[in-house]
Order: sequence, then C-alpha cells, then structure tokens
Amino acid sequence: MMRTSPIILLVLFVATPALHANPEFHRFIVKNSGRSVDCALCHVNRDGPEGTGPGQVGHLTPAELEKLGRARAALAPGMKPESPILNLFGNHIINSIGKQKFAELRLAPEQLAKTLPKDSDLDHDGIPDAQEYLDGTHPLMKSDGRPWLLFKNNLRTNLLQILLATGATVIGLFGLRHLLNGFAIAVNTDENDEDENKEQHP
Amino acid sequence: MSVKEAIKNVESYVGERFPVEKMNYASMVQKKEVPVHQLSWGYYIGGLALFLFIVQIFTGLMLLFYYQPTVSDAHASVEYITEHVPGGALVRNIHSWASSMMIAAVMIHLLTTFAMKAFARPREITWITGVVLLGVTFMFGFTGYLLPWHQIAVNATKIGLQTIEEIGQYLPGELATWPRAIKETIQGEASVGQATLSRFFALHVIILPLSIAAMLGIHLLSVQLHGMSAGVDEAPKRKEKFFPTFFLKDLKVWGVAFLVLFILGLCVPFESFFAYPLFSPFDPKGSTPDGIKPEWYFFWVYYPLELLPFWMIMLGQVVLGAVLVATPWIFQNTNRRAMRLLAVAAGIYLIVMTLFGENIYHLFKG
Repeated sequence: MMRTSPIILLVLFVATPALHANPEFHRFIVKNSGRSVDCALCHVNRDGPEGTGPGQVGHLTPAELEKLGRARAALAPGMKPESPILNLFGNHIINSIGKQKFAELRLAPEQLAKTLPKDSDLDHDGIPDAQEYLDGTHPLMKSDGRPWLLFKNNLRTNLLQILLATGATVIGLFGLRHLLNGFAIAVNTDENDEDENKEQHP
Repeated sequence: MSVKEAIKNVESYVGERFPVEKMNYASMVQKKEVPVHQLSWGYYIGGLALFLFIVQIFTGLMLLFYYQPTVSDAHASVEYITEHVPGGALVRNIHSWASSMMIAAVMIHLLTTFAMKAFARPREITWITGVVLLGVTFMFGFTGYLLPWHQIAVNATKIGLQTIEEIGQYLPGELATWPRAIKETIQGEASVGQATLSRFFALHVIILPLSIAAMLGIHLLSVQLHGMSAGVDEAPKRKEKFFPTFFLKDLKVWGVAFLVLFILGLCVPFESFFAYPLFSPFDPKGSTPDGIKPEWYFFWVYYPLELLPFWMIMLGQVVLGAVLVATPWIFQNTNRRAMRLLAVAAGIYLIVMTLFGENIYHLFKG
C-alpha cells in the first residue's frame, strides 16, 4: 500500500480552500495568469464578503450596512460606491463600469480588463490596473506585479539614483585602488630600506 | 601510543594547520601570492559570500530598528518598514536579495572548492569550517523566513519543523523521541506561535551571527595562513600578489555585486515572484493560500522529499552530511578531473531541481 507523505498531509490539512465571492472572475484570473489569487484582490477580507470577520457582511455596523445597500444599488457607472466590503480596486471597478455591467461580465470575465480605464494605476507601480487584473497581481500593492514589468518601470523611475550609485561606486573603487597601491608601495619601500640598512650595517 | 606521543601528534597536527610562525602581516598579506589559471574566478566567490554577509549585517541592523518580533505586530512592522520608513523598502529588498545571493555564493564556493580540491592537507580545517558555514547560512535562511509572519512564512516553517519530527519514526529505541524533543525545543510551544517567533528571532539576530563570526574567523585565518590552493594539476604559469593586486580585484567584484544588489533592490521587489496571497498576515483561523513552499534554496531537497519515500531522503541527507565533513579524507587520493566531474554533476542537479523541481514534481505526481 502506498504511504502518503506526512508533509503532503500537513499541506492538505492547512490548505483549506476559501469560498470565492465571484468564482467566474477568480477562475479566469488563475487560468489566465497561472498565479493563485484570493478575494483580497477586490474585497476587504481575503476570505470574501460572507462571514463575520473584518470587512465581511456579518461584521458591519448599521451605518456600514446602509452604505453597502447604497453601493449595491450603484447599477450605472460613476456613482462613486463606497462599499465597506470592497477594497479600493473593487469600488473602482463598480464605479468605472457599474454594478449591472459587472454582473453581465460574469459570463465573460476576460472582458473586464477591456472595460476598465486604460490609464488607471491605483498603486502607482507603473502597471495599469487592467493589466494587473490579467496578470493576477494586486492592483493596490506597489510591490506586487510581473517582475519584468516592475523592473522596467522602476529602472526608468530610478535611473538617476542608479547612475549616481554607479558613479559613486566607480569613484570609490578608483580612490581605493590608489590608496591601496600607495599603501603597498610605502610598505615595500620601508622593507627595501630595512634590507639596505641590514646590508650596510650587518 | 603513549599519552606523550598522542599530545605530540595533536600538537603537530594543530601546528601544521595553524603555523604560529606564519601569523604575521608579511606572511599573511604582504608575501601572499595567488595562482592565476583558468579556474581563478573560483577564488573570488568566497570573498563575494563575505561581502554579502556584511551587507546582511548592515541591512539587518537597519531593519532591527523597526521590526517587532511579536505575532501581533511582526507583519505590521514589516509592512510599516516597506510602506512608511524612508528607504525601508530598499533596505528590506536588499536584505532579501542579498540573503538569496549569499546562499547561492556559498553553495558555488563549496562546489568550486571541491572541484579545485582545495581541501587537501593542510586545509582540512578550512574545508570543515566552510561546511559548517554552509549549514549556518541555510539556518539563517530558515529562521529569517519566519520573521515577517505572513502565510508562506508560518506554513513553510510548520512543514520544516514537522519534517524534523518525522525523522523519529526511523530511529531505534530512545533515539526515536529525540527529533520530537528537538522540534518542541525549537518550536517552544504546541504549534508555531509567539515562542517560535521569539526563538527564531534570537537565533537569527544573535546566536547565528555569533556562530558565523566565530567560524568565519577560523576560516579566514586558515585561508590567509595557507594561501589559495593551487586549484589545478599543472603548475600555474603566473602568480599575482594578494595585496594589493588580488585584493583590488576582489573589491571590484564587491563593487559590481553592490550595484547589482542596489539595482535589484530598487527595481524588483523580491516578493513579486510569488502570488500576493502568500504575503497576507498569518491567521490561524483563516484559509491557507495555495503554493506554500520553502525558499528556492531548499528545492533540491524539498521536491525529492515530495516524490520519494521520506526515509530515503533522510538517509541521503545523513550520507551527504557525513561525506561533506569527511571530504578531505575520502577524496584525498582522487584526481582533480574526477573532482571537477563530481562538482559539475552536483551543480547540474542543484540547478535542475531549483529551476524545474516543480515541473518534475507535477510530471510524476500529476
């Protein structure tokens, strides 16, 4: 009989899957990007809106429930919903396309990226939110993005600092070379003087 | 053998490895020469590992000003460093990149030293301290991984500690209880929690740095006393002075490494290679994201562990450890060509398992 590795058992034990708020979008992102995502992409709570934890419906105060009701009625774009269960990106989606369009896109989640504003970059990491949605990276985390895209953008942004650091390193090494060469010459000169003295006064 | 003879043998053994007459500036620096040949690049890797360790100390000290080693505040303090402390993201990123680069440098250093047969008499102590340094470096990685207290950190640590406990089932009698006792000692409580974090923090910032400093002291003293080993069978056509010629070249390598680190630290967040849910704060009641695995430098043992029987991998680890420690005696008569082939084979295995370990795992397990 095959023995299951205790490590696999442990991983299975701890890896309890979360219930996703919008499984169509979740499935599309995972398939398209090859990255695992959770509800924290659009929601406050990474386990989704259902439950009693922070950012979940069961945890909301009466005032927040009222806000939630208003946000759920934001069927048209531009109604500035402030849903307490959605994060900035989630509210941004509903504000950009409206709740009705969002519900329609459940049948074609790949279309969501095309409907989002092209120039919107909520975390200012240089990668548009629509691209981050397709890549499965978080649109509100500056440090999360495709490494190559982040590299290109950050290189452009920090070019001056990189040039200054390169210059400082080159100048530092140049100075050190002369300092150490000078030190070595001085030590050798002292040694030669000592040898000469020994020869003259054995 | 009489006691007097035994003492004399020990004295002569230690005297050959640590010759007092060579412990002076002239022998260790001024007159020291470095052979120049096709494998000379290997001489710079050890220095590079040292440089990366120095970077780790400096960046680690800076992180210490803000890091809070408590389960309630650890993740928030790391986020605070990254989001709000001026230059905090850069320092933390350099610390992460340098840790990976240091482990890579130490592994390459071990392989090149092995290939060059640089452990031969009288350099056995240099080799053994090097093997211990490799182990300590891995422990640095393992203990440091837990400190940010996010999902991947805690869950990967749980798996690592569980592995220690599993060894017990293959040990006889009273020995079988030892791994569990070791695991509980490291863990400090029933599950990975505050006691574990406190212990890992103490290990990471005090015990391991002191251990590495002591080992590094002996290692470097030994290197300076005996000089660089010839490295190749044929006599080197040329030698260069250690000071200042080789030392300056070493500094240039350090300069390039600094620039690479600076650019990586500034432009590529280390965490961008992983899915973001892995870096959410650890919540024992919440769901666990997919993709929990150890750092890349443990893949060479992690994926085989997932594919093969546990006892086989543990036995392999014990044999590998014993062979590494006894290398100066096991391979004392092996020629350098064979050593190079062995080192290349080991290097290929490490690269393949690191880059394609996951693919290999899916190939066999579906």
